[in-house]
Amino acid sequence: MKKISFLLNDEARSIPVEPNETLLELLRDRMGTKSPKCGCDSGDCGACTVMLNGSTVRSCLVFAIEVDGQEIITLEGISKDGLSPLQKTFLEHNVFQCGYCAPGMILSATELVTRYPHPTVHQIQEAIAGNLCRCTGYTPVIEAILEFTKQEQ
Amino acid sequence: MDAYKYIGQPVVKVDGKEKVSGAALFTDDLEFGPDLLYAEVVEGPHAHAMINSIDISEALKVPEVLEVVTGKDFPYNFGLYMNDRYIFAQDRVRFFGEQIAAVIARTPQAAIKGAQLVKVNYTPLPKVLGPLEAIAEGAEIIHPDLKDYVHVPWFFPKADSNIAHHRKIRKGEPDKGFEEADYILEDTYEVPRFSHCAIEYHAAVAKYDHSGRLTVWASSQSPNTQRNLFAKALAPLGIRHNDIRVIAPHVGGGFGSKAGVTMEIMAAAIAMKVQGHPVKMMWNREREFYNTYQRLGVVAKLKVGVKKDGTITALKHDLYWDAGAYVEYAANVVNAVGLSAIGPYNIKNVSIDSYCIYTNLPPGGPYRGFGYSEFLFGLESHMSRIAKHLGIDDVEIRRRNMISEGDLTAYGAHMNPNGLSEAINKVAKEIEWGKKIKSKDPNLAIGKGFALFWKAPAMPPNASSSCFLKFNEDASINLLISGMDIGQGLLTVMAQIAAEILSVPTTKIRTENPDTDRNPYEWQTVASHVTWSCGNAVRNAAIDARDQIFALVARSKFLPADSLYLEDEKVRCRTKPDFELSLKDFIINGIQMDDGTFRGGPVLGRGIFMPEFSSTNADPDTSQGGHPNVHYTVGAAAVILEIDKQTGKMRILKVVEAIDVGKALNPSLVKGQIVGGLLQGISTVLYEEMKFDHRGKMLNPNFTDYKIPTALDIPLEIVPIIIEVAQPDGPFGARGMGEHPMIPVAPMIANAIDDALGLRIKSMPITAEKLCLEILKHKKQNK
Amino acid sequence: MAIPYEFGYEKPGSLDDAIRLLGVHGKNARLLAGGTDLANQMKQGYRVPQLLIDIKGIHELKEIRMSGKELHIGALATFFDLRSSSLIMGKANILYEAAGLVASTGVRNRATMVGNICSAVACMDSATPLLVHDASVHTRSVKGKKSYPIADWFIENRKTAIMDDEIVTHVSIPVPEKKYAGAYQKMMRYSGEDLSQANVSVLVLSEKKFHVAFGSVGPIPRRSPEVEQLLNAEGFSEETIEKANAIIETVIAPITDVRATKEYRMHMTKVMFGRALTTAMERYKKTRIISH
Repeated sequence: MKKISFLLNDEARSIPVEPNETLLELLRDRMGTKSPKCGCDSGDCGACTVMLNGSTVRSCLVFAIEVDGQEIITLEGISKDGLSPLQKTFLEHNVFQCGYCAPGMILSATELVTRYPHPTVHQIQEAIAGNLCRCTGYTPVIEAILEFTKQEQ
Repeated sequence: MDAYKYIGQPVVKVDGKEKVSGAALFTDDLEFGPDLLYAEVVEGPHAHAMINSIDISEALKVPEVLEVVTGKDFPYNFGLYMNDRYIFAQDRVRFFGEQIAAVIARTPQAAIKGAQLVKVNYTPLPKVLGPLEAIAEGAEIIHPDLKDYVHVPWFFPKADSNIAHHRKIRKGEPDKGFEEADYILEDTYEVPRFSHCAIEYHAAVAKYDHSGRLTVWASSQSPNTQRNLFAKALAPLGIRHNDIRVIAPHVGGGFGSKAGVTMEIMAAAIAMKVQGHPVKMMWNREREFYNTYQRLGVVAKLKVGVKKDGTITALKHDLYWDAGAYVEYAANVVNAVGLSAIGPYNIKNVSIDSYCIYTNLPPGGPYRGFGYSEFLFGLESHMSRIAKHLGIDDVEIRRRNMISEGDLTAYGAHMNPNGLSEAINKVAKEIEWGKKIKSKDPNLAIGKGFALFWKAPAMPPNASSSCFLKFNEDASINLLISGMDIGQGLLTVMAQIAAEILSVPTTKIRTENPDTDRNPYEWQTVASHVTWSCGNAVRNAAIDARDQIFALVARSKFLPADSLYLEDEKVRCRTKPDFELSLKDFIINGIQMDDGTFRGGPVLGRGIFMPEFSSTNADPDTSQGGHPNVHYTVGAAAVILEIDKQTGKMRILKVVEAIDVGKALNPSLVKGQIVGGLLQGISTVLYEEMKFDHRGKMLNPNFTDYKIPTALDIPLEIVPIIIEVAQPDGPFGARGMGEHPMIPVAPMIANAIDDALGLRIKSMPITAEKLCLEILKHKKQNK
Repeated sequence: MAIPYEFGYEKPGSLDDAIRLLGVHGKNARLLAGGTDLANQMKQGYRVPQLLIDIKGIHELKEIRMSGKELHIGALATFFDLRSSSLIMGKANILYEAAGLVASTGVRNRATMVGNICSAVACMDSATPLLVHDASVHTRSVKGKKSYPIADWFIENRKTAIMDDEIVTHVSIPVPEKKYAGAYQKMMRYSGEDLSQANVSVLVLSEKKFHVAFGSVGPIPRRSPEVEQLLNAEGFSEETIEKANAIIETVIAPITDVRATKEYRMHMTKVMFGRALTTAMERYKKTRIISH
């Protein structure tokens, strides 16, 4: 067991972890942070996506112990002070259906609009290509992000 | 056309905020405290084998393992339409990976360790891995006790064979029809198995407490059907329906996979062995592929006779379904297709034989489309080939044969009102049918493909829905139904119906996923029928509440009930324009009279819906005479496909789809189904391919090698078209459409390939590799 | 729990500390950078290291810079770093192209190029670009520094020349003196995330000097002296591509597996070779002479 300390959604947290625990397991099973989901446990579906030091990562492929001294943001953090403008756009356009891919998808989209405030359709597609969705067909997600970036101009 | 305030509006989903903020809780998100136990299955390593012995002694020695259960603990069979399935394998395993035992432990690691130590001795049996193999002379019989299985009266198993059900249609005089034909095309089409790939795994937690109450939390499309099957299967353990409570949290995608009962019954049964402890059954992505329902495979032999002008004189459709090791649900897919494998065409002379065949592969089951995508691949490919041969336009041949209102279906009932003609015309116009497109790049070929589709809900004739509508003091509403929102937006649409009738805004209506204790009965959320069925129940409950409101106001305020109406949460009167009474002023506490007494009390709406015109009574040899399907939803679709001739890679430049939904209660949700369903359909043609080895083991049970599309794999342009020819018995004229969008995709892509390259591919999937190798073969042959 | 067995974890603060740890534990330890490959291998039980040595604290390993006339790519440079680097885009365009096709953004944010060539899995994307550039892999251990020409790096599927006590510090790419251009082609089942079923890198150094490498179509990725000889002799043309295709049939050995058949892999390799060569030539013609 090793005690690690890190920022989770802007809150300083401290917790002992075993090396064989993945970050996804730590967040969900021991820290009550349920928005990152397990969809494959092999990094193929993106449902486990969280932000580590500002970049999206697949938390099922990160060992919990690696995040000592780092910063993690999950969708709970983005929603902490109310829905972000991007989330509001998704909501108003009825983008998500079952909602299971939404946490990962929204984090990838948030990273995209931070990196590229005026993304092309291809850049949007690339940014969310690692987030599998079986319900929406992706087009509504892409259209909502485009709509959002137009509004921001 | 009435001006509706909520119906027909793109109302924001009632569960949208939860989902977009990450707050929505799915089954695996629920916490059960430190007493939660974990169950891990032990899987059989043979597609077909007798179980000689199971030694659990080593597993029991693992620290933190509490119990190990096997088939001996639960010798109870179950099934939705036929009881051919057991909770754990009994004397034999029938598909690779079938569960034979489960280890229950305090931690997941201990459960996994225990499962690895269960020793099983098997004697392999000959296995059957395809439907034609299974009905060949001398094939191994997979269910020797088939004749003893309890099943619905409208199934016809063939004893001592692998045919679990045979649906026959004989209408008119097919032999004569073929004699009259100027041209007959006969061929075979093959469609393999597919996986639903909902992103959320199946998940179930169960607890049998000391009051004798079994609670099951499950990701489920069918909480009531699950409760029913648990009650029937576990009755020998002394449990009744009202002792069982199924709670369905948010569902991360269903597509049919979470209908009926699969792994959930294991959790329920295991809980009864560890009374007092909640126990979670652990699933994973691999098991999602090989140990939940799969879409059935089929070998379809089709013979169609036509006149010179393309009108169909006869159709013979023989479908051999690879239904898997257990067909308790799959048999109804076979049945549904048996009734409808004429497609949306008016054909007088019909012969259909739809065979449900056992194989030693994972159990087939409900999958979006319920067999219609599978048979339509052949039929719509066939129609285009016939048109090509006769020199008739692809769209025109459909127009000449399409089924119209009043025409007879394959089983002799009348076709409902429908906008098929409008759908055909609008799609043909939007895709610019008839206008050839050529690419500037000589490497690229572009083709257009067209297909019609239809589907009716496949359900028992007495599938029902019900609703309790509960007002609160502030005139907000709690709408209690057991229809599930699996992403399609059912809860939102139900709220819209109640809102429209009661003039209460949708933002003041809570509709949430159900608890079978608190929410009234719903058969299942499948078949694209809940908008219609549950919608009618909600509508009836809202009308019931409204009637109570008017009756109360009438007798308390001495106004004629039929002069009252609702507007902006107030009761108004047509004959007394200045009268208004806010719902919140009396909806719970009643209306006070002059003498200080009160009239009324809490207003509770109650509504049920069950079709009373549907029947499976029919001649078993011809299927004529019944009314098994309530109505059909129809549509048309077309695609512009670009093919890289060197690599076989395909790109969808444009896809258009028109569906007659009767009334689009929420157009944004209808479009959402069209866009999502189209991509799922495209995926079954271009990307998804299940691979089994000679042992019957699935080789690619993961997203690495079973490819579902990403955001980079979408069509360039999608045009959804909503057609509205009212369904007379639908709420506000609506009928269902959730499954339909994917149904025409495979044949229209096959037709587009034929248009572009003159190549006809008669089996799925049509991956880039398959197409490329076909192109190369063709080139070689032409040299 | 995804990883059922227990193991140790160390995070050295310096390269020297990492080397020391490797000197003691090398046989039973694995170095942890991005971990996207290693985590899966540990979940599948394919690799069961007793100790993970997390090198992400060794910041000097993250550098992408010029070192004299060589491009220096540190062991911790991720595929995202490669895609964000104007140096990589300008001077190692084939690698830049390949980096953009690896997995997805969330994986590229973590996965490192060096990790990719150390895993040595058949579907590597970084191998053929490095092969055509005659890169070198530089390591350190308690015994000192060492460098391996990339051609000697890959031994067999999932095995490299690295010793148990070595850590790769960086990969160097000698930047050609005169103008050059290249292209990368990857065989994928669709446009989304997919593991390479075949890949081709082509580097044009002059109208009569070509480097060609094939990946995922043999036990290890390799240069093809046979194809290069033909191209160097005859230059770029449709006829040469056809002749090269005939040679390709004899020098690669694709297999049939769950992802693709050997027939399709063979065919695609030829098509991709033609396209990579054509694209590389177009880029070469467009490139202006550069001076260091």
